[in-house]
Amino acid sequence: MTQPLLEVQDLRTVFTTKDGIVKAVDGVSFELLPGETLGIVGESGCGKSVTALSIMRLQRPGKIMGGKVMFKGQDLTRVSEYEMREVRGKEIAMIFQDPMTSLNPVFRVGWQVAEPNRIHQGWDAKKAMTSAVSMLQRVGIPSAASRARDYPHQFSGGMRQRAMIAMGLTTTPQVLIADEPTTALDVTIQAQILDLLRTVNKDFGTATILITHNLGVVAGMCERVIVMYAGKIVEAGPTKDVFANPKHPYTWSLLKSIPRLDEDRHEPLKPIEGLPPNLVDLPSGCAFHPRCSFKVERCSRDVPALLRVGETQLAACWVTQAGTELKGA
Amino acid sequence: MIGQSRVAELEMPGAAVEGVSSRPAQSYWNESWERIRANRVGLAAGILILVFALIAIAAPLFSAVLTHFLPQTIDLDVTFHPPGKPNWLGTDELGRDTLTRLIWGGRVTLGVAFLTVAISLTVGSSVGMLSGYYGKWVDDILMRLVDTVLAIPAIFLFILMSILFRPNPISLAIIIASVGWGGVARLVRGEVLSVKERDFILATRSIGARDFRLMLRHLLPNVLPVLIVSASLGVGQIILIEAALDFLGLGIQPPTPSWGNMLTNAESYFFHSFWLVIWPGIAIFATVLASNIFGNAIRDAFDPRLKS
Repeated sequence: MTQPLLEVQDLRTVFTTKDGIVKAVDGVSFELLPGETLGIVGESGCGKSVTALSIMRLQRPGKIMGGKVMFKGQDLTRVSEYEMREVRGKEIAMIFQDPMTSLNPVFRVGWQVAEPNRIHQGWDAKKAMTSAVSMLQRVGIPSAASRARDYPHQFSGGMRQRAMIAMGLTTTPQVLIADEPTTALDVTIQAQILDLLRTVNKDFGTATILITHNLGVVAGMCERVIVMYAGKIVEAGPTKDVFANPKHPYTWSLLKSIPRLDEDRHEPLKPIEGLPPNLVDLPSGCAFHPRCSFKVERCSRDVPALLRVGETQLAACWVTQAGTELKGA
Repeated sequence: MIGQSRVAELEMPGAAVEGVSSRPAQSYWNESWERIRANRVGLAAGILILVFALIAIAAPLFSAVLTHFLPQTIDLDVTFHPPGKPNWLGTDELGRDTLTRLIWGGRVTLGVAFLTVAISLTVGSSVGMLSGYYGKWVDDILMRLVDTVLAIPAIFLFILMSILFRPNPISLAIIIASVGWGGVARLVRGEVLSVKERDFILATRSIGARDFRLMLRHLLPNVLPVLIVSASLGVGQIILIEAALDFLGLGIQPPTPSWGNMLTNAESYFFHSFWLVIWPGIAIFATVLASNIFGNAIRDAFDPRLKS
């Protein structure tokens, strides 16, 4: 067993809103192994992004109420702000969803890609710029030296995302958190960016946490996947196994609701009934039970724990933990 | 290596190709500058202010070379001389040359205006930046302070101050700025509140930037346009305030000339020697108008969406 690089234990992050307390991340635990690509999937508002931001301690205005984020022997939820800044952008880098808005419009792209090294290595402008240009080249920006002098609005969406990736990689971090890196891009560009992320992962050995709501992306990119629902992990395991044989009704329903090329095309798609729950007022017991077609009486009463189900997977479900197979109704 | 072999295969139609990137980088500032240049009236207004400022700076030179008078030289033989030679704009009740006094008065008036704007902007934008960036109790305390400052009836404060201290240009600038910074602080705070929620600030935080860097390097350039507009509009306002104070005898004290106290003086002789009122009046009017037009021009230049 390899030593995990990053270990999240029982992480809990809450937001106080005028309607009440939102437990955006409610007891999430997982580990990230060196060099792997871990997928976190779930629908909007299930806590994927907040989990990522909490690891970086950028979850404001949310509050981390409990749990640990172990990285290199220290608990990131407890280190000082100064130590945290040393981790951000140097050891753990993050890429955001919308490359249109994540670059500062008033600075040249090269300057921004150079900034992490100026902050962390104390490099002068010239040295940092040289390395920024070579990094821009490596992420596939043509004529990088002159492009580095452009402003963000002169870059296309795909190129901006490449620039963001370059910015993340200049300090050769050990962990790259990509928060829906392709959601705002069109499909052909998505494929290019995913290709780039895969290459980065291979060539730099950077462990990647890939947050997405696109199951196809996970299938193509990740060795392991975590499925989140209403702030909790409902299923985790190797991508292959989770996709072939889901152990949580939510994962099962998600897979049934998207078209697949490898299955009988006459079978109609099955949408998930109902709406995602209101995070201020979660259903009792398992948060998914009102929308679940497998529910038993216990589901509305007790919250299931995330336990081993089958050979390789973990699932938080009373039904599958009791040994029942999920079969299409 | 990533790229190299991959670049070719990743490169898709629509992605940038060599050659396209050889055009000069059009920054936000460049574009704004282009738009100012296209606005003839605005540009003329800006040039007028610049010319007035240069004349004011070079006042001693003008005195020595052009008018051959000093602003406080009294010559009782030529009182109320109408415009003509050698007093091109006439003389006042003590025979002082009006053109010379106008130039030296501009030095005082414009000096006070620019200094006041500089002080209000520095104090106001620092307070607004801290308030907007840190929020919570910092915001509460600083904004209540601003509310308090803005609630003080300015004219009474000015009267009190000018009784306590004999106003000179610097103290007058400080007195006017002491109420002027409040508005700037609110303006900057509002702008910071909106800019700091944008993704690139989060992204900058995610690379480990300190608060100081975020504020000065990333937020400030993004609020600079509002600051510049506010500075330019502010010059006009402050000239009016300063003229009003001088007129009431609370500002710059005679015999030091300022456009405001030249008006005060001239008031008594309006029917007798109207030019004494006209010249400082035109100077104030033109400068304030130019400052407003130029301010609006740069606002349009920075944010073309405002101008439909």
